[in-house]
Amino acid sequence: MSVTQPPPAPSKSWTVWVRDRAVNALPPEKLLADKQPTYVASWIYVFGVLTLSSLAVIILSGSILALKGPAWWHFTGVGHFFNSVHLWSVELFFFFMVVHLWGKYWMAAWRGGRTQVWITGAVSFLIAVPCALTGYVSQQNFDAQWISTQAKDAMNSVGIGAFFNLMNFGQMYSYHILLLPVAVVALVVAHVLLVRKHGVVPPFELGESLAAARAGEPQAPTKSPPETDGPQAETDGPQGGQRTVIAPTNPEPGVPPGEKPS
Amino acid sequence: MAAVFNLNHHASYVNWHFIHLSVSNVIVIALTLVVFALAILLPFPRHGPGGSS
Repeated sequence: MSVTQPPPAPSKSWTVWVRDRAVNALPPEKLLADKQPTYVASWIYVFGVLTLSSLAVIILSGSILALKGPAWWHFTGVGHFFNSVHLWSVELFFFFMVVHLWGKYWMAAWRGGRTQVWITGAVSFLIAVPCALTGYVSQQNFDAQWISTQAKDAMNSVGIGAFFNLMNFGQMYSYHILLLPVAVVALVVAHVLLVRKHGVVPPFELGESLAAARAGEPQAPTKSPPETDGPQAETDGPQGGQRTVIAPTNPEPGVPPGEKPS
Repeated sequence: MAAVFNLNHHASYVNWHFIHLSVSNVIVIALTLVVFALAILLPFPRHGPGGSS
């Protein structure tokens, strides 16, 4: 006689709960996608990853400066070098981030349920500004002294001078190497994960086609990538499983339609 | 940089109505606009069928 075993009860472990929700929200094929839509093949889409690269150099060079201290970055050749690397990586970080911001603004990158993507990017930009300011006043030289005395008046004028004292090196240094970088990195990580979840925002024409498809209007067979469904090179059309693809703007032999060449 | 550019003088500024910008900032703003335009206009390189650029 055989006895049928009842199915195992679902685990009540919090790790299982977190894992299930994390995988549902961001499956591995979205988290580490190997294909991107055709429209991503443009220089304007490069500036997000350039900003990330600059941030990595900032963190690395800043960590070395924090380990060695002001006397090292002021009075040694190697210290000068890393001080300059830190400064210029910040300059490039803001340069690339501004171009990235302009591009996404004119794309209206908050479309298709991407509000959180836009907000995390915008807030990380706003927090990066005081992160840079606290760096300027943490240099331990006359330049820092001048900037802090000038910026002190700005803080006092808006009523936060008692809480954010630019003449207090210890407070500014703590903000610069811990509190604000942690906030920026956390927001950037959230921003990237949200981009992975929602996919890169499509051009206006494709977004409008998707909106029309949602409304049930007939569609041309060469449009309509999923606007909210993450990176995908090809997709099934909205009309009864009809196969539609994103036509590449400059198709070449060997590159499947709708797929970004790698 | 000091060997390349003579920094031993007062900074130059652009004044136009309420706008008051240093020349160096104007250069950076103009460069950002140029890079933004080029990023939109320049074609993105595509790999050929053999995998080479």
